[in-house]
Amino acid sequence: MQKILIIEDDELISNELKNLLDSNNYSSIILNDFKNPLNEILDIKPDLILLDINIPYMNGEILLKNLRESSNIPVIMVTSRNSDIDEALSITYGADDYITKPYNPNILLLRIGAVLKRLNNNSDTLIFKDLTINISKGIIKKGNEEIILTKNEMIIFSYLVNHQNRIVTRDELMTSLWNNEEFINDNALTVNISRLRTKLKSIGYDNAIDTRKGMGYILS
Amino acid sequence: MKMNAYLKDKIYAIVTTFITIIIIYLMLMAFKVNIEIIIPVLVIFLICNLTILLIDYFRKKKFYSELLYNIEGLDKAYLVLETLENPEFYEGKILYQALYEINKSFLENVNKIDKSKRDFKEYVEMWIHEVKVPLASLILTINNHKNEINPKIKAQIKKLEDYVEQVLYYVRSENAEKDYLIKEINLGSIIKNIGLKNMDDLLDNNIEFIVEKTNALVFSDSKWLEFILGQIVNNSIKYKRNIKNSYIKISIREEKTKVILIIEDNGIGIKETDIKQVFDKSFTGENGRVRSKSTGMGLYIAKNMCERLGHTIKIESSANKYTRVYITFAKNDFYEIAK
Repeated sequence: MQKILIIEDDELISNELKNLLDSNNYSSIILNDFKNPLNEILDIKPDLILLDINIPYMNGEILLKNLRESSNIPVIMVTSRNSDIDEALSITYGADDYITKPYNPNILLLRIGAVLKRLNNNSDTLIFKDLTINISKGIIKKGNEEIILTKNEMIIFSYLVNHQNRIVTRDELMTSLWNNEEFINDNALTVNISRLRTKLKSIGYDNAIDTRKGMGYILS
Repeated sequence: MKMNAYLKDKIYAIVTTFITIIIIYLMLMAFKVNIEIIIPVLVIFLICNLTILLIDYFRKKKFYSELLYNIEGLDKAYLVLETLENPEFYEGKILYQALYEINKSFLENVNKIDKSKRDFKEYVEMWIHEVKVPLASLILTINNHKNEINPKIKAQIKKLEDYVEQVLYYVRSENAEKDYLIKEINLGSIIKNIGLKNMDDLLDNNIEFIVEKTNALVFSDSKWLEFILGQIVNNSIKYKRNIKNSYIKISIREEKTKVILIIEDNGIGIKETDIKQVFDKSFTGENGRVRSKSTGMGLYIAKNMCERLGHTIKIESSANKYTRVYITFAKNDFYEIAK
């Protein structure tokens, strides 16, 4: 499981953030020591840091600058200051992404996923049971059999595969689609899911996508 | 300073001179002084008085003409004192001193107001950043407790967020300081963000969000532009018609010297009598009164910001048919060459 360090001085936010991340298959840790954050960070060795700009004792940007002298841990800056100038400054200091409060939690998760994916560089193929999924080509392979998915179907399927241990809500799937510039409506999502089911059925994955009424979908 | 106006002003001195000449003439005649003496005396007297007038005229003319001329030439007339030398004649000295004092107190006052405006702006910006923290925690909490919380709350919080954002950009756009950063940005990513931000509203209202080719590069500030487009899309959502196939269509037209972004909806549109005023401050029009409470600030701020960024914004509508907003970005040859 990937470790995410939360550096945020608002207790309510950091706790809810921890809840959110933990329920999305990350293990998250909240930073306690704002006086000497650098030591704690290097001790924890997180895979990613969510860094708020307004933290006690030291400004988040300065902490980032100091951190960059000794480490390349990916950092997403979180701030309530919403301006291009602030964003440019953070990126110059070495932030990997910049997101403004208040953020949509689904989008935060997508951005975290994107930063981690960019670094791990193994983004293009996914494995689900005996299926090999080539995302950019839109192909699922099972032995010699092959099915071709449309872009929308692939976005839905890869999201489900990436979050296969829990229920995925329609809202999350929708966000992931819109984040990929596929601005579809509710009906189209339903249609896409049923088409995806039919295609999976053709390679022997009957009922691979389970509907949990009122909650969402889960891969089984 | 004109000679005839000056002479008119000095009419009492001129009249007095002529009366004096007549009196002297009559007196000298009474004493039977020789006419050959009387005339030179009177002429000398006249020349004396004329010289006094002329010297006075030219001393003043130099100062006042410069004053008037400089006032006209300056775009900030109150700075005129800086361009003048303290005059040599007494009245001028009084005027100069008075202007100096007036100017000083005026500038002090302006500075005071300026400072209080700046303080206010700083306070509002700070307040907005503060208020975003509880907003962020609310949104996270709602997301983590979806099953226990009424989903309507989410929509209300989105509204709250939008209003707060509007204040922030109003304060930013009204101030002379440069709060923006112009760089090359892709319209596609801006539109994607707008879509994501309004996704729930669009889906809840059954509005189709249609995006045609949008990958065009323009020079702008991405945050400001996002706000401007957000205002337009918000309006489209707010003023949709109760029909089945509501849509918001975003497209781009690329021409040789400009890129035009078009946002079109098939909502209730704007009445012809209202359309000229939609960019006016606090204008709400019939739609704003009938449909929903409107602040009348969104489009005003959007227009103001477009002007600051160097874009033009235009609106076209037919009541109960469509509304189209055009934002035009100039293509800058200089940047092309620099690349």
